[in-house]
Amino acid sequence: MTGTDEIPELDPVIHAQARLRVVSALSVMREADRIAFPRLQETLRMTAGNLSVHLRKLEGAGYVEVTKTHHGRTPMTLVRLTRRGRLAFDDYTAALQALLNPPS
Amino acid sequence: MTPIDDDRPLDDPAESLRLIREEQANLARTLTPDPRLMYWPWGIAWLIGFGLIFLRFAPGGRVLVDMPAWLPSTILIALLLAAGIVTGITGGRAGRHVAGPSSRQGLMYGLTWSVAVTGMSILFAQFTAVLPDDRQSLLWGGGMVALTGALHMAGGAMWNDRNLFVLGAWTSVVNIVGILFGVGWHPLIVAVLAGGGMLVLGYTGWKRLP
Repeated sequence: MTGTDEIPELDPVIHAQARLRVVSALSVMREADRIAFPRLQETLRMTAGNLSVHLRKLEGAGYVEVTKTHHGRTPMTLVRLTRRGRLAFDDYTAALQALLNPPS
Repeated sequence: MTPIDDDRPLDDPAESLRLIREEQANLARTLTPDPRLMYWPWGIAWLIGFGLIFLRFAPGGRVLVDMPAWLPSTILIALLLAAGIVTGITGGRAGRHVAGPSSRQGLMYGLTWSVAVTGMSILFAQFTAVLPDDRQSLLWGGGMVALTGALHMAGGAMWNDRNLFVLGAWTSVVNIVGILFGVGWHPLIVAVLAGGGMLVLGYTGWKRLP
């Protein structure tokens, strides 16, 4: 084994604390389920501006899908984790586990 | 690791895993309706409502507590309506601002309950004039409890929720035993065993929340 194999690569998109929190929360929802922006914001205790910035980065990486729709007459922004995002999150947690318990 | 912006990553993997679990539990908790509010109102309604029916129409035609014949079932229906409102609001709040297959499933399941209960009530009401009070309460009680048991089992199948399925199966068996024991015994058996089952499930479900 070479030195680089021992340290798993951590996904820089998820590695930032705020985005890790966003992706972690979204990971408990079923694949096709979407959550409204204000409710996600409330759960994560982040400001709307801050959450928007991080969602845009995650969207850029193809990890989340943000859709704008209408609920009656009120516009609503819905967020969901994409399959790609879920895979990235699973890889990330597996990498963390590997860092904690390095294969001997 | 090169951060792609100024948001600082955590240095310790254990700390990161703790953060992940915390945020997962956070959202899961708000998406899961409080099991106490989902089951206790029904358990209490069954305990009190069927308990009163037993006290008024005890085995052998005895009256353990004297009260008008219409009172126990009226109280049961009022308590069941109250329970329906509490669980409707609780379930609705948990599903608020969420869209997708899960909320559609929840809505369809809720509609199934309303339609089934309405259909049964209209059918049973046809027998009001021809059945004596104690038989009527067995028909209503036995029919509604059978429906509840079956819908809980179906709910368990739908959400792959073993506890809900077991509650439904337990309720169904208790109901059958009660019906076979007959007029007088059915309400007591259902009140204690099936009502009690709901109280237990509400408690264990709450204890297991993430």
